[in-house]
Amino acid sequence: MASNSALESTIDKILKNTEQDILANIKSGLDDSQQNLDAAVPKLESEYDKIISDGKKEADKIEKQITGSADIEARNKQLMALEEAVDKVFSKLLDQVANADRSGDYSNLIKTLIDEATKILGTSEIIISTNVKDKDIVQSALSQFSGAELSSDTIDCLGGIKVKSKDGAMTFDNTIDARIERMKPLIRKEIAAKFGVGN
Amino acid sequence: MTVEGGVQYSKIAEIKGPLVVVDDVESAAFDELVEIETTEGEKRLGKVLEVGNGKAIVQVFEGTTGLSISGTKAKFVGKVMEMPVSKEVLGRVFDGLGRPKDGLPDPIADKFVDINGEPMNPEQREYPKDFIQTGVSVIDGLMTLVRGQKLPIFSGSGMSHNLLAAQIARQASVVGKQDDFAVVFAAIGVQYSEAEYFRRSLEESGALKRSVLFLNTADDPAIERIITPRVALTVAEYLAFELGMHVLVVITDMTNYAEALREISAAREEVPGRKGYPGYLYTDLSTLYERAGKLNGKKGSVTQVPILSMPSDDITHPIPDLTGYITEGQIVVGRDLFRQGVYPPINILMSLSRLMKDGIGEGSTREDHSEVSNQVYDAYSRAQEVRALAGIVGKAGLTEIDLKYMDVGDTFEKEFLTQATDENRTIEETLALMWKIVSKLPKNEITKIKDKYVEKYYKEE
Repeated sequence: MASNSALESTIDKILKNTEQDILANIKSGLDDSQQNLDAAVPKLESEYDKIISDGKKEADKIEKQITGSADIEARNKQLMALEEAVDKVFSKLLDQVANADRSGDYSNLIKTLIDEATKILGTSEIIISTNVKDKDIVQSALSQFSGAELSSDTIDCLGGIKVKSKDGAMTFDNTIDARIERMKPLIRKEIAAKFGVGN
Repeated sequence: MTVEGGVQYSKIAEIKGPLVVVDDVESAAFDELVEIETTEGEKRLGKVLEVGNGKAIVQVFEGTTGLSISGTKAKFVGKVMEMPVSKEVLGRVFDGLGRPKDGLPDPIADKFVDINGEPMNPEQREYPKDFIQTGVSVIDGLMTLVRGQKLPIFSGSGMSHNLLAAQIARQASVVGKQDDFAVVFAAIGVQYSEAEYFRRSLEESGALKRSVLFLNTADDPAIERIITPRVALTVAEYLAFELGMHVLVVITDMTNYAEALREISAAREEVPGRKGYPGYLYTDLSTLYERAGKLNGKKGSVTQVPILSMPSDDITHPIPDLTGYITEGQIVVGRDLFRQGVYPPINILMSLSRLMKDGIGEGSTREDHSEVSNQVYDAYSRAQEVRALAGIVGKAGLTEIDLKYMDVGDTFEKEFLTQATDENRTIEETLALMWKIVSKLPKNEITKIKDKYVEKYYKEE
């Protein structure tokens, strides 16, 4: 009987020790886990922040791409539409100029153009070319410009004159076409302003 | 713009290289625009270089190939070359002479501006001191770009300077302010594929709408390259000083510009200077670089990042040499780093931004920026020395602190310097990386940073 109780107490002791060991292990495991968990939280938070910030950056980038290319596309379409409108205005204007009445002030205009051309070339010894419509007007204006001759060849233009020095070294284009071409950027701006674009 | 137009002369005395000598010219002005008409009716642009004794020397931008003495006509337009400018130029692509290259019509101009620009009155200049964030760590952290500064990138042929240029153009911004920001990008003599890359890169990133591109490709006439930076800077000045925008001008490659200048100089039979470049190369370059800056009483600014490839990587070559005299620092792209596959391969020990000190610190970037940047420079410099030593005595012969510096060097190159071409880092991210490098050193090695900043930002690993 006595040996049985000694055995039982030994077994109890072993069980108690084992229980304590297991509990200590569990506690230390719990502590370790808690520590790991605590350490992981800031890491996780910084990872989370990084993912969010990277995602935000990527979203911003994509938003910029989408809005940027949409803006450019819309602007380009607007530019093309505006240019089409400007071209229409221009061609109507050129039609009107081509069919303008040649009487009245037009002969004065031709005189002004010849005068301007002789001053710019620095010589009155010139040959003037013009289109078929303006030939007679130019011919009648020549009386005021000694040294000026009218070329027998006509040129293709809306109106005005083209002047060449008699030695052929210098030419000055004072046709209406050339004057419009030189002023085209400013005229475009004016037309665009009527459509509410620019100043 | 004038309705008078100009006189056309038909006596061509000589055609020499890119130059045409016109005879019996009654009146012409220096720099006057000239329209050259070929026998086939094709029109090319040029400008008067010299006038006198009834002759005018005209430099033809599009080259003289195909021109003959008989039948060629030169019309002196009566004005200097002008660029039509307005806000409408933003988002547009032009060629090297400022003509639309994107299939769209000419922009509706607010005004026409002489491309030669007005030199800035030194008295009117305002000292540059505001930070521009490029999103590239090595630039923002160690050689900070400041609004109104001219900071060139010295590179070599075949290196990744164009990638860097495009990245800067895409990412550059003014931090924390609602000010308008624009990028003017001038490509001079670049390959078609590079020009396409620049255009696509800005388009796809959405940055094109705030950019203006001037593309002169390698197959365009070399003489056009004289004009490209000038039209680009004219637009930049308009956007900056008339519309109040902060404009970053990226010009690549200035070496091609200088070579076009040399071509003209040779054709004019001028006495050559170093390596055949004209003696006035310095003056000519300064007329471009000095167009950067800020003006008193004006809201905007023009910042320039010219890129030049150094022939044979020679930094003493006249182009980088003279550029360095005019600009405020330089960013040097290193061949060794490039070979190691590092991007951007910037050699920080040869680079500096002279105006950085005024553009960083509290209120601009962060209070500790200047000091941490000095410490990183110092540590990387020491790392290079240690690497050289390791090459002789071997790694086993190094002390513990030497090994730490080697680690600093590796971290610097792998984590700070190396960056993806589409990675846009904020200044905070850049500074955090700089502290990560510094934190690899023991505290007693940190000699350039105040204790209070060390306490605040140092994170021992």
